[in-house]
Amino acid sequence: MNRCKISLFLLLFCAVCVSCATPRGTPGAMDDIQPSQRPDSSSDEAGLWMYMDRIENRLKTSGRVVSDPELNAYVRQIVCKLDPVHCADIRIYIVDTPHFNASMAPNGCMQVWTGLMVRAENEAQLAYVLGHEMAHYLRRHTLQQWRTVRNTSSALAFFSLATAAAGVGFVGSLAQLAALGAIFAYSRDQEREADDIGFEIMAKAGYEPVQASQIWGDLLAEEEAGGKLAKSVFFATHPTTPERIATLRDLADKTAKTRDSWTAGREEYLHATKPFRKEWLREEVHKGNPNGTLVFLNRLLKDQGDSAEVHFFLGELYRLRGEKDDCENACSEYQKALDLGNPPPELYRSLGVVCLRMGKTREACDSFEEYLKVNPDASDRQIIESYINRLR
Amino acid sequence: MEKKYIIAPRGVMVLLLVAAVLIACGGCVTTSQRGDRCATPPPSTNVLLIEPDIILFELTAGGLEEPRADWTEAAKANVGKKLAEILQRTGDKLIPHQPPVNVPERTHTQEQILKLHEVVGQTVLIHKYIPIYDLPTKQGCFDWGLGECVKSLKEDTGADYALFVYLRDSYTSPGRAALIVAAAILGVGIQGGVQLGFASLVDLQTGQIVWFNRLMSGVGDLRTPEAAEKAIQELLANNPL
Repeated sequence: MNRCKISLFLLLFCAVCVSCATPRGTPGAMDDIQPSQRPDSSSDEAGLWMYMDRIENRLKTSGRVVSDPELNAYVRQIVCKLDPVHCADIRIYIVDTPHFNASMAPNGCMQVWTGLMVRAENEAQLAYVLGHEMAHYLRRHTLQQWRTVRNTSSALAFFSLATAAAGVGFVGSLAQLAALGAIFAYSRDQEREADDIGFEIMAKAGYEPVQASQIWGDLLAEEEAGGKLAKSVFFATHPTTPERIATLRDLADKTAKTRDSWTAGREEYLHATKPFRKEWLREEVHKGNPNGTLVFLNRLLKDQGDSAEVHFFLGELYRLRGEKDDCENACSEYQKALDLGNPPPELYRSLGVVCLRMGKTREACDSFEEYLKVNPDASDRQIIESYINRLR
Repeated sequence: MEKKYIIAPRGVMVLLLVAAVLIACGGCVTTSQRGDRCATPPPSTNVLLIEPDIILFELTAGGLEEPRADWTEAAKANVGKKLAEILQRTGDKLIPHQPPVNVPERTHTQEQILKLHEVVGQTVLIHKYIPIYDLPTKQGCFDWGLGECVKSLKEDTGADYALFVYLRDSYTSPGRAALIVAAAILGVGIQGGVQLGFASLVDLQTGQIVWFNRLMSGVGDLRTPEAAEKAIQELLANNPL
């Protein structure tokens, strides 16, 4: 490469660096969003809002959105209790999917996944996660992150080109690694900040502080049991959970004494979610991560006491997992559900299938017959009858 | 929790891929397609003009597409106006699409149709315009449709046909432009902004796509009325209205 080209390149490079210094918005701390504030239409923030508005429009008609007005009103009133000033700017979508997650878009479109709702043990735990999401909105984290990514990747493109021109391309790759590190580190800082703010607003609303660390701790236990399969979307980029749990526990210890009475909202929570729990548990056992789900269901038994429904789903989990001794495990769980009384009618069908697998033809037949007796309008009546006829 | 919404979702990635392949393949003379087994629309027919689905991006120096609200608004106004102007000359009656008010089920159905069209259109773009993705069952014919669900649009609006337009356009930021120049000096080619879109005319009785065309260009601009008119003329070339 001749000297002239290099000089010209460097000249351009400097010119660009100057133009990069005045892009549409610089990364770093920014003011909190104000109630009913809309971004200026020529800003990068308005671009992100427009984009999310479009996605939100699509989300509205998704078959996965839980439309039940009572459940939606219940979650909304928690958000409004946490932040009465901004709650009018937030739209909440409860999305039916068995994974643990919640998300907040820059335009105030909040998603709450049913995998989170089925796991929260009380209103305070859900409130903490909702508070965490509110913090992302208030602090405009998506915009901050977008600017970081944009500016880092722009600088990176020039840096890679400059080093390639100088014949040291591998330095460019190192820069790429460093840049990725910077992006993720930034996102971890945001998560810590959201943890702090989420904690602060849930405590201010009178929710029991210890519940914040509790929900993360429960999730961690599940992930440790489930291995790679159980990695939640949430943990994918945030591997420092033990540290976060410890921080939240310290905060809870300090805060607990500042008030005489706290509320966990356990009864209210279980009441509001009761009509949906069976379906959510069904999706959970079919999720395909049996070891993580096992930890979760056993925790439910401990938390909510013996329940025919939970024993039934434990049985389903063993039946679906199908490892050594799982037929026996499933039978034992189904039996516990039967002993407790009033089990879900489909228990008899599942028990029949497991007995069949174990070679216990007579018991299988009895079970299938019982299934049809308690469930006379079963949509699969014909299949079950054909089983019975073949076995008799 | 995760709050990351990746700005280039699968749809955009697919379109970028399509754009790259199409640019590499070189421009064809005729790009529009006429549906098989579809009658030509009669003269002076009622055409429902679905609000064009447009997003404009600024291509940052690092190659990210940053959505631009102000540009998108300008483009929507330009494209809407030009579409109406060009189609009015054909003598057809244009019915601007308005989502039904206070009828949530109807709104829901219409929104689902818009989503469906986007998916079908992108599928056509991939499987009809990129030879290696030719589908064995669709060789030598153009047989795509949205199904009979579109009848509800006919019932709601009285239109016989609906015209859908989908446009994505990106423009190089000053930073990207400088990078392109710098790279060119070093003998490296870097992609600038790309205009990509498609339009389809759907028979609201049968759901079949009667006519389909795609637009793809490394130049062009939807932010100004003149350039938008040129783009729309190109997009609507050979339409049967």
